[in-house]
Amino acid sequence: MNRIFNWFRQRRLEDDLDRELQYHIDRRVTDLIHSGLPEPEARRRVTLEFVGATQLREEVRDIWLNRWLRDFVHDLRFSARSILRTPSLTAAAVLSLALGIGATTALYSLVDQIVLRALPVDHPERLVLIDWIGFQYAETMGTTNLMSYPICRDIQQQTQFFDGVFCRAATTINLSTSGEPRLTAAELVSGTYFSVLGVSPALGRLLTIDDDQAPGSSPVVVLSYDFWKNQFASAQDIVGKKVLVNQYPMTVVGVAAPAFHGIDVGEVPSLWIPAVMSAKAIPGFETMLDRRTRWVQILGRLKQNVSLANAQTGLQSWFKAMLDEDTRRTNISRASAEHRREFLASTLALTPAPQGHSVLRQDFSRPLWVLFVATLVLLALACLNVAGLFLARGSARHREISTKLALGASRGRIGRQLLTDSVLLAFAGGLLGVVMAPIAVRAFIAFLPHDTAANDVHAHVDTHLLLFAFLVSLITGFLAGSSPALQAGRKSLDSSLRERGGTPSAGLALRRAIVTAQVAFTLILVIAAGLFVRTLSGLLVKGPGFDTSSLISFGIKPDLNGYSGAEESRLIRRITEGLRNSPSIQSSSVALVQLLLGGAWNNSLTIQAPTIQAGERYVTDREVQMNAVSPGFFATLGTKIVAGRDFNEHDALNVTAPNLSLPVSQSGQRAVIVNEAFVKRYFGGRNPLGARVAMGAAPDAKPDSEIVGVVENISYRNVREQWEQAYFPTGTELSGSNFYVRFRGTPESAFRAIRAILRNADPTLPISYFRTLDEQIERSLNTERILAALSSSFGTLALLLSLVGLYGVISFAVNQRTREIGIRMALGATRLSAIWLVLRDALVMIAGGTAIALPCVWALGRLVESQLYDVKPTDPITILVATLVLCSTALGAALIPARRASAVNPTEALRFE
Amino acid sequence: MPSSRFPIPQGTLDMLILQILSLEPAHGYGIAQRLEQVSKSVVQVNQGSLYPALHRLEQRGWLKADWRESETGREAKFYSLTRSGQRQLRVEKDSWARLTGAVRLIFDEGAAQ
Repeated sequence: MNRIFNWFRQRRLEDDLDRELQYHIDRRVTDLIHSGLPEPEARRRVTLEFVGATQLREEVRDIWLNRWLRDFVHDLRFSARSILRTPSLTAAAVLSLALGIGATTALYSLVDQIVLRALPVDHPERLVLIDWIGFQYAETMGTTNLMSYPICRDIQQQTQFFDGVFCRAATTINLSTSGEPRLTAAELVSGTYFSVLGVSPALGRLLTIDDDQAPGSSPVVVLSYDFWKNQFASAQDIVGKKVLVNQYPMTVVGVAAPAFHGIDVGEVPSLWIPAVMSAKAIPGFETMLDRRTRWVQILGRLKQNVSLANAQTGLQSWFKAMLDEDTRRTNISRASAEHRREFLASTLALTPAPQGHSVLRQDFSRPLWVLFVATLVLLALACLNVAGLFLARGSARHREISTKLALGASRGRIGRQLLTDSVLLAFAGGLLGVVMAPIAVRAFIAFLPHDTAANDVHAHVDTHLLLFAFLVSLITGFLAGSSPALQAGRKSLDSSLRERGGTPSAGLALRRAIVTAQVAFTLILVIAAGLFVRTLSGLLVKGPGFDTSSLISFGIKPDLNGYSGAEESRLIRRITEGLRNSPSIQSSSVALVQLLLGGAWNNSLTIQAPTIQAGERYVTDREVQMNAVSPGFFATLGTKIVAGRDFNEHDALNVTAPNLSLPVSQSGQRAVIVNEAFVKRYFGGRNPLGARVAMGAAPDAKPDSEIVGVVENISYRNVREQWEQAYFPTGTELSGSNFYVRFRGTPESAFRAIRAILRNADPTLPISYFRTLDEQIERSLNTERILAALSSSFGTLALLLSLVGLYGVISFAVNQRTREIGIRMALGATRLSAIWLVLRDALVMIAGGTAIALPCVWALGRLVESQLYDVKPTDPITILVATLVLCSTALGAALIPARRASAVNPTEALRFE
Repeated sequence: MPSSRFPIPQGTLDMLILQILSLEPAHGYGIAQRLEQVSKSVVQVNQGSLYPALHRLEQRGWLKADWRESETGREAKFYSLTRSGQRQLRVEKDSWARLTGAVRLIFDEGAAQ
């Protein structure tokens, strides 16, 4: 420490040493004169005594600063100077490294945040996820790793393995605090949740075991710190206040610790509600205590001295007994033998869950790792490039190094100097990379699925990330610099003098191979980018089959406010009425299932056609996509009715028909509209009007719905797909709460008008989404967009890197062959032939890379085929364009050193001979 | 007589410097003179090893230095012992005593035979 401090006060130390020695000399001279020597003789003697003063100073300096530290500082200065002397080479190297390090750092940030980071709780390493492997014979409500609430209570009894066990389920509630109600992300949790995780309150209390009693007994909530800060301005008197959860009053009892954001990085809850209140938090959910409803994830904290394997083995005997009991306890007795066997074969699995439970993580961890490895490959390419550039420069610095060696510099010392060069460059690149990384992370976060719940992924640079970038830069610097350094260390002075104009070194062949591989890799990426971009643009051009401009879609959730079916119908009629009377609305309609969100209502249909002999019926060979829509739906979307008619009010007027699944009109008639794809597949293009269909494939299904119309194909689940569709009219049984509105004027004024109508209909009505159809399309093309963006950026990066690599290897070759070129020119070769000599080299590498890449594209094409739209993986135009782009830019990069070769002056080149 | 003067054995210079400075603070020239005087000119110290040794001891925290007026009226760099320097001196004296004791034992045994 002291020594590093010395570094900054070197000047003063030097001065002090000078004065100290001068004093010694002066005193010695005076003393010698006193002892009788004449002054000149005295001075001569003292000068002789101090003949080693320079060495003395050096020794003292070594004490102040370690020798290596002094050398390092010296190297650093020297490196900085020599790097700045060749700005274009430096820029190429730094940019290569910045791209590599930036991309790696960005991906690492995402991997760290989404996959690796442990929860900010006590001993997260002892948390485990408890999961049922096998067949549960249960209704499912939720995503993954689900079990029933009573099982959680059972596992809580297994205290020989666990310090504690909790369960949780993510949900969305309609929360009114003051002012407008808003859909809010919440987590339903058992009372043990906070104590097992070891989270402390920031204010008030958290949920306890007392909140786990009878259903409905504990109407309390705990707020997250951020929600309390943003929504309640950190009000200190929040404890005891009431909030409305789906219009049901609950009391705020506390605020959780600031760092705690729940256990799911992809869905951050704003508040926690006891699981016993699930009937209020999830309208219509009355089966909390049912063992045949799975809806919670169960996590436990292992006891200190219990291993995961021991706990898992130990739990099985209890679990088997429970399964056995279950078969008697519930209606499983009626299950088929097959189901029964599967049920009894189930086991309980424990997996480590220090990061909590997250669907986002489950979905993204594999793609993230793949991307991370891909960025490491890019970084390796960047390293190779920089090594190549250094080798090229190393050969240019040949004389300098040979001279140093001849003057007695050690090889280690010269190697260290070269290493310092590359480490310095790597740090410059790393610095730039750290600046670029958050931009890349932010772009990626924009692609993550986002709903009501925010995710906990951020684009900030923290110390953790800086440390990572620092280490990566250091390693990169060493890797990039080690080969030139080793080479400098290996070459004997003798051979390096002889080698002056000699044959290219063996390393060049290896570097040619590397650049060829680089070109191949790049071409594959560029072709992939081309395919994905064409897919995206193809889908954008195709569109959903209807005109999306001036269309708004929004959804309401009346059930969260306790509306019954009939009340909901009245509400929707009221809103429709309001929309019809608004001057900024052209038309509106409702649908049961939202379009372009990935969801669909599928079922088989049984068709009976009058054109075929009476009584003949057939079942669709695959499930048909169905939706229920109000009259005017197709007109609102701008979809043409190509035959027959639209639904009318009479189709939609229902009578109650409890045992039938399809709506009945007053006349007892049921109507259905199908699309062109349906007609094509099942009627072979013949007129389907008048044919009858029935829901389902059961032999007793009664085909009593008449096909009254045929419409054009429109997108349902996503833009890409074209499927057979059947539409039913909305009514009490199939009520739609997704509105489609075509407006006049600007979207903003339409949004305002619609909001006013909704407020007028019910001021506390929860709105689940509210956006233009253009935006909806944008969202539904998210995957395609990610693929296009990622492949393009990776393709561009790889292209840049291989251009730099090619440039490096060609300029190296030019330096090596200067003498040869000089001789050729002295013998009468033209400039053009000199350029050709060099370009030929580049062409061989480019052609080699292309020859490797094309079969790979053909082989890899299968993997991406399903992701493409309207373009084959071996699309000749894409491949041709990509190859042309690569070849032309690569030749451009090779031309720079080639021109230098043509400018070789024969006399200059041969002077050293 | 130069031939009768010894260069200081490796490793003992530090101890001698500490010993001299334990009596009173001194500057480099003073230390060199004192070493010669006390040892009756048997021990010869070279500036080339004296000053690196002083700086090394200072760096280790056994000596501290300050500029003050010397006997001639000029400013000189005076070294003095720190607390940890005193401790170090005791340790070194101790081990020196043990070493010379051991050497004597070996010599004595040779003389006895």
